[in-house]
Amino acid sequence: MTDLKRVGEVVWEIPPSGGMRVPGRIFASDALMEVVALGEAAQQVANVAHLPGIVDASFAMPDIHQGYGFPIGGVAATDVENDGVVSPGGVGFDICCGVRLLGSELTVEEFSRHRDAIMANLDARIPRGPGTGAIAPASLVPRVLSEGAAAAVEAGYGWPEDLERCEERGASAGADRSALSERAMARGRGQLGSLGAGNHFLEVQYVDEVVDPKAAEVYGLREGTVTVMIHTGSRGLGHQTCTDHLRRMGSAMARHGISVPDRQLACVPVRSAEGSAYMTALATASNFAWSNRHILAHAAREAFADALGISVRDTGMHLVFDVAHNLAKIERHSVGGVELELCVHRKGATRAFGPGHPALPEDLRAVGQPVLIPGSMGTSSWVLRGVVDNPAFDSAAHGAGRVMSRRQAKRERSGRDVAEDLRLEGVDVRPGSVALLSEEAPYAYKDVDEVVRVCDIARLAAPVARVRPLGVVKG
Amino acid sequence: MAYQVLSHAADAGIEATAESLPDLFDELLLATFELMSPNEAGTQADTTRTVEIRAETLEDLVVDTLSEFLFIAETEDQHFSWFRSEVDPEALVARIQAGSRPLRRDRASGAAIKAVTYHQLVVEQRDGEWFARVYFDV
Repeated sequence: MTDLKRVGEVVWEIPPSGGMRVPGRIFASDALMEVVALGEAAQQVANVAHLPGIVDASFAMPDIHQGYGFPIGGVAATDVENDGVVSPGGVGFDICCGVRLLGSELTVEEFSRHRDAIMANLDARIPRGPGTGAIAPASLVPRVLSEGAAAAVEAGYGWPEDLERCEERGASAGADRSALSERAMARGRGQLGSLGAGNHFLEVQYVDEVVDPKAAEVYGLREGTVTVMIHTGSRGLGHQTCTDHLRRMGSAMARHGISVPDRQLACVPVRSAEGSAYMTALATASNFAWSNRHILAHAAREAFADALGISVRDTGMHLVFDVAHNLAKIERHSVGGVELELCVHRKGATRAFGPGHPALPEDLRAVGQPVLIPGSMGTSSWVLRGVVDNPAFDSAAHGAGRVMSRRQAKRERSGRDVAEDLRLEGVDVRPGSVALLSEEAPYAYKDVDEVVRVCDIARLAAPVARVRPLGVVKG
Repeated sequence: MAYQVLSHAADAGIEATAESLPDLFDELLLATFELMSPNEAGTQADTTRTVEIRAETLEDLVVDTLSEFLFIAETEDQHFSWFRSEVDPEALVARIQAGSRPLRRDRASGAAIKAVTYHQLVVEQRDGEWFARVYFDV
């Protein structure tokens, strides 16, 4: 049993013991800690604290739940100059999985009048489920791997101004498509512009409540207007890239004199041949993910435009932001008053840069970066903003966090029952598989409002607006 | 031979036992595909292929074998319904004959497995039987 001490209103600490190099620190309320206590998540926070070069603490966001190796919601930063490591398990198989939010001037009433046509168009145009099937041709894959979302814009998907509202402008530095294996390429060729399965989705929503009018105005969010949220990542190309490098690092650890409590935490120094190869592959696979969401977002705009009988431009569906929640990045942060070059792992955690951060586009710099926290089907999602003095390397939660296993969720209710529940709540669900719908039912997740409340209290991010679902296209 | 599905907050796992190592591989592979497409269990295969995997450890041999079949299934949209494994634990080579048919997407009613993890991976002999535990990223 992991030793947990409360050290603040919503902060819990695991003191260092055994091979832990730093403490573990979990941001959670009493209600959320009840869920943490059920599984191995706290032990996984402690395991991550064993990583060579880790600084400050092994953090867990309020949506923490049990993962494999890292907990979901885990954040760990390692000191690159002092043999700090990079761990593919700290990113996950779905490299650069993330969330994209489109805003619009379309009102709920206007959407309701065209709902059937819009949802039918989305149902027909958004490829989803396991395996192949995508919007973009395989010939575009090599270009997006090298150039990121800009190559997708050049090919006719999305608008140039979208890039300003993407983390890294939709292109990770240091990408090199020759860094990916032939197997990764084979998996990616038929999947550029596809949702995938599991918890991935495209959701039509409306802005239900604005709690920070200034930030909402900057983000282009007004009460009663329609938004579209997309959650997906790098598909099989990313999964294969993680598999390839986990295997290599597992063999290389002994050579670097590294041992970890769980092989899924396999790691090597960032400044090693294996570390450098992984960082290049990571950047390249990330470019697939940024572009994947970009292409899906444009397909959503086209689905709306066709249903409304207007041009895609006239939909006014602007990009609020696109941000990853499965990534490791080299960032500079102050630790104990000393600025260090760190490799920041966010495994199910969202980057959350505060006001004034130089990486943000000028128009966002006054209020901070949009932080997107999806709830579950049938419940609200949230838009937050980054704040200054974030205590966890500018990171925040990435979702509601699971409270129930997929098997248990399926036992509770059938997919058909869940679809009917959602229909009665006014949510039009278009599932890739009805049977799988219950795995992602609202009762399988924590209360997203509580997760957001803890983010606010812990100063991880501040709430801006709440959005509610109108229709869901499920992977 | 027998397997059971393990409960996990976000992902999925399987534990399998078998009298021999080849049977264990058959069981793990079958469990993986039944986990993904339970509605396809018992369907007739129309294609047969043989896959050979080499690794440095027995654990890697299990992970690499499962990963290989997930790769084929994803890139060729196939569902595998039977396996006949030959495993040399000294040379760490697995040679697997397997039968598949095109996956019917409307039958994809199980876990969407992204990859095989090393999390709490176990492959060992227990009380005269072979035992393995594998978690997947879903």
